[in-house]
Amino acid sequence: MKIDIKKIEEIVGENNYSDNIADLYVYSSDASVHQAMPAVIVKPKTIEEVQKIVCYANKKKIPVTPRGAGSGTSGHTVPIDGGIVLDLKQMNRILEIRPEDMLVRVEPGVVDDDLNRALNQYGLFYPPAPASSRIATIGGEIAANASGVRSVKYGATRDYVLGMKVVLADGSLVNLGSNTRVHSAGYQLERLIVGSEGTLGIVVEATMRITPLPKFRCLAVANFNSLKDAGNTISDIITSGSQPSMLELMDKVGIIAVNKAMNLGLPEVGAIILFEADGNVKEAVDYEMKKMKGICEKHGGSGIEMSYDAAERKRLFSGRKKLFAALSRYKEGIICTDLADDMGVPNSKIAQTAEKIHEIAERNNVIMAVYGHCGSGVIHTKIMFDTTKKSQWKDAERVIEELYDYVHSVGGVTSAEHGIGLSKAPAWKKARSDILPMMKAIKKALDPNNILNPHKLMDAPDDWVKATNLRYNVRS
Amino acid sequence: MTAKKVDFKRSKKWEQELNKCIRCGYCYELCPLFKSYTWESDTPRGKLILIYGMIADEIKPNQEIVDKIFQCFYCKNCSDNCSAGVPVTEVLTDARADLIEAGYDVKGTIVEIDENLCSVCGVCVPLCKYEALSIKDINKDQKKIEVDKIECRGCGLCVAACPSEAISQIEGCDITLPELHEKVKTLIQTYEDMKLIIFCCNWSLFPGMQLSESPTIIKAPYGIIVTMCSGRVAPELILNAFHEGAWGVMVAGCPPEECDHDGNYKTRRRLVLLKNMLKELNIEPERIKLEWFSTGESAKLKNAITEYVKELEKMGPIKKIEIQKMVGG
Ligand SMILES: Cc1cc2nc3c(=O)[nH]c(=O)nc-3n(C[C@H](O)[C@H](O)[C@H](O)COP(=O)(O)OP(=O)(O)OC[C@H]3O[C@@H](n4cnc5c(N)ncnc54)[C@H](O)[C@@H]3O)c2cc1C
Repeated sequence: MKIDIKKIEEIVGENNYSDNIADLYVYSSDASVHQAMPAVIVKPKTIEEVQKIVCYANKKKIPVTPRGAGSGTSGHTVPIDGGIVLDLKQMNRILEIRPEDMLVRVEPGVVDDDLNRALNQYGLFYPPAPASSRIATIGGEIAANASGVRSVKYGATRDYVLGMKVVLADGSLVNLGSNTRVHSAGYQLERLIVGSEGTLGIVVEATMRITPLPKFRCLAVANFNSLKDAGNTISDIITSGSQPSMLELMDKVGIIAVNKAMNLGLPEVGAIILFEADGNVKEAVDYEMKKMKGICEKHGGSGIEMSYDAAERKRLFSGRKKLFAALSRYKEGIICTDLADDMGVPNSKIAQTAEKIHEIAERNNVIMAVYGHCGSGVIHTKIMFDTTKKSQWKDAERVIEELYDYVHSVGGVTSAEHGIGLSKAPAWKKARSDILPMMKAIKKALDPNNILNPHKLMDAPDDWVKATNLRYNVRS
Repeated sequence: MTAKKVDFKRSKKWEQELNKCIRCGYCYELCPLFKSYTWESDTPRGKLILIYGMIADEIKPNQEIVDKIFQCFYCKNCSDNCSAGVPVTEVLTDARADLIEAGYDVKGTIVEIDENLCSVCGVCVPLCKYEALSIKDINKDQKKIEVDKIECRGCGLCVAACPSEAISQIEGCDITLPELHEKVKTLIQTYEDMKLIIFCCNWSLFPGMQLSESPTIIKAPYGIIVTMCSGRVAPELILNAFHEGAWGVMVAGCPPEECDHDGNYKTRRRLVLLKNMLKELNIEPERIKLEWFSTGESAKLKNAITEYVKELEKMGPIKKIEIQKMVGG
């Protein structure tokens, strides 16, 4: 695989590619534990440039890994086979806002928060926002089927995709989906691209559904003595028919970490729940909040604070917003790694999974935090340990195996919103062996030369530790 | 240039902090250098990855890497907002010291002095709050201004103040005068409704779109140009904005006692003189406005902009002739 740099320069111009070591090394990692060097970084600005690059790569069988903000947590954008990293952040224009049709048309590099800032002026919003919305791109969100704190009411990215333009592995451009809310004409191909992690095509334009901003939002926080009580509260809220627009959990490890990192002074109780309702009729929002508050109290929830005020809501939510990074501050010598980070479990299994996580962690000498959009069954964790020690990586491996075996045994999924990439592939492949041949067949049909983000998902290596270099300096 | 052997003794003590960076990338949105260069290697996360790579001996330092490490305005938007609490600029300063000690020639955002133009008048020396500039003896009769490349924060106040135009900074990150002129021109020519140009200090960030563009959708009557310090807004920049067709110019800086560089005192003096000049030309001095905003007061900034646009709409455009007289064109 020899890349003709002159050819690349011809296509994107001299300022929009780089093969210097400073860039290659920085683009060799994302928010995961993985790292692998690309051969060149290319920053296209137009659809034609993307087509030409992909067409050239296909002829020469050069791997192409699309990249948005690189905030993926499982090595999605780590170019395991080297080749071209296609940085799409320069294709960052909001092309059209059509309130009359309730849709937007955007380039793939548009940042989620920016889209919402623009929509705000029209009294509209794009709901799937992940916690990383301040940098995550719409292209990356589509490719990972991202969802976020409001998925419990509004769903995931897949629920907002109407149509898209995609550059296929041979460089051809296809227009998938429609501009209408529903369509029924064969395979829902735009949905096939959702969650494809850059392995089937490059999204170069997306048409997304948008929705009016609710007039009222009310957010509350409740403290619980135990994680179990908090978990059961969440399950009960969901089965009660309440309509939360957010239902988040944060355990004691998380609380201690945000207190240390941000000096928040939160009570260091067993767990905290954040619940929110929204709507256009205040009495209806009040009703939902009261109902959820009652369920919290039934399970021993106390110290309940509630507010409609935007600044106050921001304050109440601030710890949760920055929790992932804050976990790094939990304890000296312990590092927060992005592993086993986003399981999904059935509603009835939230409390027991949360408790199981702590039990597995303790047994294997690591610390784990339990938090996440538990209202939609998403349970986030992070594995925290001394990354300089080989033996601790072995501990992490055992944790991952035990944890996923448990999650799958209760009918849960390996990844609820971050995707599979490299680090989650072994566990996921084990659980879903029946669908792998179908996925491989689709990949082969659309990308016969295996150039688009190769060796990810179903084709990822079976040993995640050895799949690539680790981003950490492991010593003894 | 051949690779030099570097002893990363200062940088190495940060290894554990660098492990704590979860590489979320939230710092991109806040980094003025990333916004002008658009390479991830220009972000705080990128720089930390490079430093980590060097101390872990995965990559060898070379000029390209060194240049990246020396590009930073120390605005600290990254470290102040890092939820993992990584002291980004402190790590950077130590890496810089290690690289300089190894003999690397550095440029980055550090100021450079053209000794052929410099008269060693010394005006710049007390101006620098970081004591990065000093007068050194070359021999018995000759002196020169020396730049401490570790301490220089790249604020550029000395560039704006040097009477001999002997101090310069690299182009490319939208901080030099010609680049700022070009930005003003592009804003006014691209957007039909553009009435107000705001020179906004990087420290009082505005909550507008950060990393995306919306060429046709957002028809704002104002445009924001981020400068590294209000002290860098030279009078000709403001006059030029009027010449290009702006109805008004707002300079948004940090309150006097809060400026990291003490640049805003100079701005205040400069703008008083400029307003008097406008009066003589029969132009309302109210077309220039200086406002102070603390870090995080973006809501206040937004309101101030809305109010000022209303005022300008009452005043209407400036008559072209007088402006041309002013800038001599
Ligand atoms: C602190 C933190 C919090 C997070 N919180 C959440 C959360 O709440 N919910 C959630 O869902 N995720 C979350 N994530 C994960 C991540 O932010 C999301 O997966 C996000 O959608 C990735 O967007 P990105 O632009 O960074 O994409 P990248 O990481 O750059 O790429 C992700 C995948 O998309 C592919 N890709 C990117 N652009 C394109 C394109 N145009 N066409 C085809 N493929 C493309 C890449 O090849 C890769 O496989 C979080 C991550 C971090 C670090």
